Amino acid sequence: MKPTRFVAILAVLFAASLIAQEPGTRVPSVTFAPVGKVQVRPGGSAAVQMDFRVGTDFHINSNQPKSELLIPTQLKLSAGPPVSIASLKYPDGDDVSFPFAPGEKLSVYSGDFSITTVVKAAASARPGDYAVNGELRFQACDRSACYPPRAIPVKFTVSVVGK
Amino acid sequence: MVASGKYLNRSRQARATSLVGDVNGKVAPDFDLASLDGKRVKLSDYRGKAVLLNFWATWCTPCKEEMPWFVDLQKKYGNDGLVVVGVAMDDSEASRIAQFAGEMGVNYPVLLGTDKVSEDYGNVAYLPTSFYIDRDGKFVGKGVGLVGRQVVEDNVRKALASRVVGVNGPVNHSDPKVAAQRPTAQ
Repeated sequence: MKPTRFVAILAVLFAASLIAQEPGTRVPSVTFAPVGKVQVRPGGSAAVQMDFRVGTDFHINSNQPKSELLIPTQLKLSAGPPVSIASLKYPDGDDVSFPFAPGEKLSVYSGDFSITTVVKAAASARPGDYAVNGELRFQACDRSACYPPRAIPVKFTVSVVGK
Repeated sequence: MVASGKYLNRSRQARATSLVGDVNGKVAPDFDLASLDGKRVKLSDYRGKAVLLNFWATWCTPCKEEMPWFVDLQKKYGNDGLVVVGVAMDDSEASRIAQFAGEMGVNYPVLLGTDKVSEDYGNVAYLPTSFYIDRDGKFVGKGVGLVGRQVVEDNVRKALASRVVGVNGPVNHSDPKVAAQRPTAQ
């Protein structure tokens, strides 16, 4: 390859990387890792950890943001009988200052975070697989822009096993 | 907590728009939006003035940083023909937005955003987003995300520098007859 062509290709790639970094040109991602097998006996309960990952350079508000104007991260789960959702526990957010508000600390999640729940099976539950469905709702920002609230689906299966 | 389910739908249903990429020189789409005090406001009401059209939301922290700049710029350039217009993309009640704007000392009109205005302006999904519109109603600049105050002010000056082109050529805004025809900002 001729040096001039190589330089030209590098220049195009550099320009493309600048465009990619322009605020508002990327969609923030939050991904949900599949939950492993959840087993519970009739009348029993099990803790379930749900792992999420916030895309690089983005953050989302924690479940307890420091202002009521900010949109909290919320997980809504629903399960039909004989399985029920007993509780949800969110992690504490990290208190972080950002260049867009250097004098203010926001409570956020970035990188990996986990939410735990406890599922219960009714004493009368028959063995089988039961779906738990829901969505994680969040509102993301990067270092200079904020993005509309979004939601991603969250689902896992609870297996009720015999006594 | 602020509800924002409508915005969820808005981002899912965003339709194609012709307003993408470099907008400079294109005619800014007219709109007809409700203001916080219930009046209907059109962009074309401000023809002859330079408009800084700022899309924001109460849940957008970077947006909050810009608002004092806009207040200052409105004071500094208002007599020269600048009108800052805020478009709130919240789904919360107007009274709540008005309370927030009041606390921020906002001295310019704030309108309630809709799906349509978002789509017409290129599916505005990132806040803050500002458009700088000249006296002829054409874009002279756009800013996505928080930029420096100087960048904002430079764009405002660019918008102010333009002159309305009439049938007999550029209109002199220092002409008292022209000044009398200008719409008044709220």
